[in-house]
Amino acid sequence: MDDIIRGFGLLLEFQNIALIFGGVLVGVLVGALPGLSSPMAIALLMPFTISLDPVASISMMAALYCAGTFGGSITAILINAPGAPPAVATALDGYQMAKNGEPGRALGLAAMASVIGGIFAIIIFLFATPLLAEIALKFGPVEYFGLSLFALSMLAAMSGKSSIRNLIAGVLGVLVSTVGVHLATGVERFDFGIEELSEGIKFVPVLIGLFAMSELLTQSKTLNAAVERMTAKALKLPTWKELKSLKGVILRSSGLGTFIGILPAEGSTVAAMMGYNEAKRWSKTPEKFGTGHAEGIVGPEAANNAAAGGAMVPTLALGIPGSGTTALILAALVMHGFRPGPYLITETPHLVYAIFGAMLFANFAFLGIGLAGARFFSYVTFIPKRFLWPSVFVFSLIGSYAYSSAIFDVWVMLLSGIIGYFALKNGFSPAPFVMGLILGKMVEETFTQSMVIYDSNFMNFFDSGVFNIFVLLTVISLTTPFWGKIKQLITGKKSESVF
Amino acid sequence: MSNEKKSFDFAPRTLGAGLVHKKDLILALLLVAFGSFMYYEAGKFPAAPLVLGDTLNADVFPKMLVVLLIFLVAIIPFEFKITPEKIDKIDKDRGDKTPLITWMTIALLFTIVLLAEFLGSFLTMFTICLTVPLMWGEKRYVAVALYAIIFPICVFLLFNKVLGLYFNPGLLEMFIK
Repeated sequence: MDDIIRGFGLLLEFQNIALIFGGVLVGVLVGALPGLSSPMAIALLMPFTISLDPVASISMMAALYCAGTFGGSITAILINAPGAPPAVATALDGYQMAKNGEPGRALGLAAMASVIGGIFAIIIFLFATPLLAEIALKFGPVEYFGLSLFALSMLAAMSGKSSIRNLIAGVLGVLVSTVGVHLATGVERFDFGIEELSEGIKFVPVLIGLFAMSELLTQSKTLNAAVERMTAKALKLPTWKELKSLKGVILRSSGLGTFIGILPAEGSTVAAMMGYNEAKRWSKTPEKFGTGHAEGIVGPEAANNAAAGGAMVPTLALGIPGSGTTALILAALVMHGFRPGPYLITETPHLVYAIFGAMLFANFAFLGIGLAGARFFSYVTFIPKRFLWPSVFVFSLIGSYAYSSAIFDVWVMLLSGIIGYFALKNGFSPAPFVMGLILGKMVEETFTQSMVIYDSNFMNFFDSGVFNIFVLLTVISLTTPFWGKIKQLITGKKSESVF
Repeated sequence: MSNEKKSFDFAPRTLGAGLVHKKDLILALLLVAFGSFMYYEAGKFPAAPLVLGDTLNADVFPKMLVVLLIFLVAIIPFEFKITPEKIDKIDKDRGDKTPLITWMTIALLFTIVLLAEFLGSFLTMFTICLTVPLMWGEKRYVAVALYAIIFPICVFLLFNKVLGLYFNPGLLEMFIK
């Protein structure tokens, strides 16, 4: 209880409230701007938070993450251009409702469902994080190795263009994480005589390059794309009666979203898609989906915001990112000297509760911001790309340089961006690579320790029951993307899923 | 849909009687070459001193990863047979050639980063804000000029004066202390 009070107390300081509110504003803004995303904003902000209070910095990023998920739905509804991938499902019915002359109602439904979904997940987060951390404290290196294998295997089911490519990107990320001094032997690996590489490849420039620079290059192709905009009216909250009629969809999607968020690697995008599909499957009027149906808006919105809260659970309790964005928050925790994993809650419980408070605050704040500024946020999409993206490059340059005042990091950022652009073109997403890069050290460390414990015999790993469970889960997650295909081959029926 | 129709659809992008995807084969070969290079490099790592006992050598883990990588990469050329819809989407994206403007942007960004230390932070920001919009076809020259001056000043004031970040003065050394 003392830790909860201490964590919340930290948030009451003026500087911290201002930072969290700033995080919400930036989150809604980047969420609303197509091309910009919350991972990108967190990657860009990360180096500038070095000099700030670590608890406030991490809380700000958590608030930004929550708000960014909601921000994407504003443009999805008003201009049919989802500002963030999780809002793709919202656009299906949200934009139709706006076209039917009810943009305010669509925004209100999205905002309310997001808030309920978000709060639902945060409550679960409050109870599940300490519980999961307690279990994880009993894990030895071999169990942790099994867990990290499972987390990496979940990349196969992660939203993206191809499961195999997600896994390849994850393996490449782990491989890149081996650059630098090998801690067990002191051998310098893959440094090719470059002094800067002996310390390993730093996260921040790579993250900025992959999320910001590759997107800049993608945007350079669509400079003259025309955008059709709906007349933006004020946000109109749903009535109590309407909310009551939608409570089943909202609660079901909130539960589903939280569960998907808690699964390693799976984030808001998968949750939103499943939220939409499930809302349609359980609906009494599925034929209305796609025509501006309220259930088609609240289903994905509650799910994607709940997933944002759920994704924080494995991130903080196990040190395993719950999504691409939480992978960045994990990197920020490491950067600020925290020890992600079960020790985080035993050594710095106030941080976990401060994050919880910040996310709770963010959920109410974006409702207020949405109510007051939905119109404004629909206009920000009209900032000309020719001015917006050079600004992003300026921030990328400063961000990667500021991290350690080395021009080498700027080159790493630029090269990561160019490689990221071509990789994206060939179906590789940046998020799995980042997950691999961040988890890489843990995978190698736990593998090495386990080999030492088990006399260098991998087969002895199977003596651990928990390891066996994780291996089983790994096999299940690796085969999940193909279940639909197998079912289709057996039954001859195609899945009814929209996505 | 008949199999005949499918093979007709895939014909232009496949090799070996429609079994292998052409572009993915090239991609796979590139990744295998990268993996082989890393494997070769890992082979040159010195062994752990005996005093460390059972500790694994530095090359074991990277080599395992490369083997896993090559195993996964081997599936790519045939992926279009497993998940055709997904590969269709990827093909649509990479079907469009990278436009000249993107290549020019890459070249410009390279040049700017190359000159960044010489120019210093402020002039680098100014150059970015001036050249990128113009290269991207912005015709409102006054707006570009204002943007190129005002935006770097705002960034400089925020990050240098408020957040205390060090800005390399570069060419402006005599003006900025």
